[in-house]
Amino acid sequence: MAGSGMPGLSFGTGPTTLACSFRSLTNPYHAAFNKGAQSFAKSVGLPYVPLTTEGSSEKGIADIRALLQKTGGNLVLNVDPNDSADARVIVETCAKAGAHVTTIWNKPNDFHPWDFNPHYVAHLSFDGLAYGAATATELFKAMGGQGGVVALGGIFSNVPAIERKAGLMAALKKFPDIQLLDFQVADWDSQKAFPIMQAWLTRFNTKVKGVWAANDDMALGAIEALRAEGLAGQLLVSGMDGTQPGLAALKAGELVATVDWDPYWLGGVGLSMGLSAQQKKMDVARLPKERRESFCKATLVSKANLQAVLARRATPAADWNDARVAGPLVYR
Amino acid sequence: MNEPDAAQVAHTGALRMRARQRRFAPLLVLLALGVCIGAVDHNFFDPMNLARIAIAAAIPLTIALGGIFVIQLGSIDLSAEGVVAVAAITVSMLVENSYNEHHSGLWVLALAVAAGVVLGLVNGMLHVFLRIPSFITTLAVGFIASGIGTAWLSGNTIRVSDTALRSIAITRYLGMPLSVWIALLALGIAWWVHRHTLLGRHTLAIGGGEDLARLCGVRVGRVRIAVFALAGAFYGVAGILAVAQYGQGHAVIANGQLFVAITAIVVGGASLAGGNGSPLNALVGTLIVVVLANGMVLLGVPPYVQRGIQGVLIIVAATLVLDRSHRRIVK
Repeated sequence: MAGSGMPGLSFGTGPTTLACSFRSLTNPYHAAFNKGAQSFAKSVGLPYVPLTTEGSSEKGIADIRALLQKTGGNLVLNVDPNDSADARVIVETCAKAGAHVTTIWNKPNDFHPWDFNPHYVAHLSFDGLAYGAATATELFKAMGGQGGVVALGGIFSNVPAIERKAGLMAALKKFPDIQLLDFQVADWDSQKAFPIMQAWLTRFNTKVKGVWAANDDMALGAIEALRAEGLAGQLLVSGMDGTQPGLAALKAGELVATVDWDPYWLGGVGLSMGLSAQQKKMDVARLPKERRESFCKATLVSKANLQAVLARRATPAADWNDARVAGPLVYR
Repeated sequence: MNEPDAAQVAHTGALRMRARQRRFAPLLVLLALGVCIGAVDHNFFDPMNLARIAIAAAIPLTIALGGIFVIQLGSIDLSAEGVVAVAAITVSMLVENSYNEHHSGLWVLALAVAAGVVLGLVNGMLHVFLRIPSFITTLAVGFIASGIGTAWLSGNTIRVSDTALRSIAITRYLGMPLSVWIALLALGIAWWVHRHTLLGRHTLAIGGGEDLARLCGVRVGRVRIAVFALAGAFYGVAGILAVAQYGQGHAVIANGQLFVAITAIVVGGASLAGGNGSPLNALVGTLIVVVLANGMVLLGVPPYVQRGIQGVLIIVAATLVLDRSHRRIVK
C-alpha cells in the first residue's frame, strides 16, 4: 500500500460490499428490487447485503451505520429511504465514511448529489405526474372519452400519491366529457379499496364507467368488489406499479393499464452506478446534472405490450449500464 | 332485617336502568348512524347496499369474534393479522394458484383453521407457562407469524384462481354471498360457546376476577390456552374469507384488520378490562365501524376528514357504552 496514508481505509484492500436498503420484503415490488440487486452483485462477483427498514427510519439508518462500520466504508449503497428526510442523514454518513450511495424515490428537494462529490452518485425517481396522466388517458380512451369515473388515491401526505393524483387531474382537463365523480384515498391497500368501491356502486350506480387507481393493489381491491357483484371486466379499471397480480388482471381483461417501473432493473442499476463511481470508471462530478437527478423511463403496460412485459418478467434480465434517463427531476 | 328504604330502592332501580341503557347503547348508536345516513342518502337502505355492508363486515367480524373471547379474559390478542396471513397463505398455496402446481381441493380449509389453532395454542402456552403478559406474547407471535408468511413467499403475492374457493365470496344464497353466511355461522358458534359451554362461562369468570375463579376451581391456565386456540380458529376462518374475497394470499393480507377488530369490540360495548361482553358486542361494533365507512363515502365526506370522524365516533360510543360509575381510577 505504498503511497497510501491509511491502508486500512483505502479501496481495493478487500472486496467492496454492495448493499440495498428498502422498506421490507413483504411485497412483490421490493422482492423484485432485491432480486435485481442480487443478480447485479453476482454478475460482478461481489458480496451483497439487503437491509430492510420495516418502516422505521431509525432502524434504516442504524443498519446502514452498522454496515459502514463493518466494511470500513468500502461500501456501495443503493437506498430507497423510508422518509425523504432520511436521505440527508444517510448520504452524509456514507460520504464521511467514504462509501458511495445512490438514492431512489425519496429525498429532500434542496438536497442534491453534486453537493457530495463523488460519494453521492445519483438520485433516481419516476415522474408520478406523467405516468398518472398516462394511465388515466389510457382509461379514458377505453371509456370512449365520456362517462363518470371514480378515483382511488394513495396515502395523502405521500409524494408519489400527490403526483399521481396531479397526473389524473391533468388528464381530466384533456377529456372534458369525463366527469370525476369522487376521489377517495385507500392508503395503497386493496382491503381499504374494496369497501370504498362497494359504497361507490351504491352512491353512483350505473353512472360509474371507470375506476382510476394510483396503484395495482387498490385497483385489484376495486376489481374484487366488482366481481362480487358480477361486474368484473365490465367496468374499466386502471392501476399502476405493474405487480404480478396486476399483470394477471390485465391479461384477464379486468385491468386496462398499469405502469411497470421494473424494480428488478432499479435494484441493480443503483448499485451499478455506485460501483462505477467507486472504481473511478465514471467521473460523477463531470456527469450532466440530469444524469445525477433523473426521472427514469418506465413502461406503460396495456394489452398491446403485455406479452413483452410478461416475457421480460419470466426471465428477468437488465442492462446495468443503461440508465434509462427520461429527463431531469422536476420539483413541483 | 330492616326494610330497604325508598331512596335505596330508587337508587338500585336507577343503576339497573342505566346498566340496561348501556347494554343497548351500541345498538342505538348503530341505528342512529343508519337513520342519519339513510336520511341524507336513501340508497343506504337499498338491499344491495345492505348486502355490500354485510360483505365488508364478514372478515372483520370473524376476527373480532376470536378477539372478543380473549378480551373477555381481560387479555389482548395482537397476533390476529399474522395468524390470518399464515392461514391465508396456507389456503392459497394448496388450491389452484399462480405460485405452484398444487390443487388439493377444499379440504385445505380445515388446514387453515388448524394453522390458526396451532398458532393460538402457541400464544396461550407461552402466555401461561412463561407467565408473559398476553400483550407481549401475542405481539411476538404475530411478528413470528407474519415473518413465516414473508419468508415462505419471499415477499411475493399468490394469485388464487381456484373457482371453488373464489365462489365463497361470489356465489350468493338469498342475496348474500357464502362468505356472509360463513361469518354468521361463526357468530352462531361463538354465541353457543359463550352462552352454553363451560369454556364460555369460565372465560367470563376469569375476566371478572381471576383469584375468585381460581378459588372456585376454575383451571385458569387451561381455560386461557383454550381461549387463545379458539381465537386462532376464528382467525383461520378469516384467512379463508380473505383469500376468497381478494383472490390473493400474501403476508400482509390482514394489515390494519387488528385495529378494526379491537375498535369494533370496544365500540360494541365490551370492556378491555375483561369480565363482560358477548359475540353480539362484536357484531354490533363491527357493523358500526363498517356502516360508518360506507356512509362516509355515500355522503361524500372528504377523505381527509374521515379519520377524524372515526375517532370522534369511537369516543362517543365508548362514552355511552362503558360503565364508568364504579371506576375511581382509569388507566
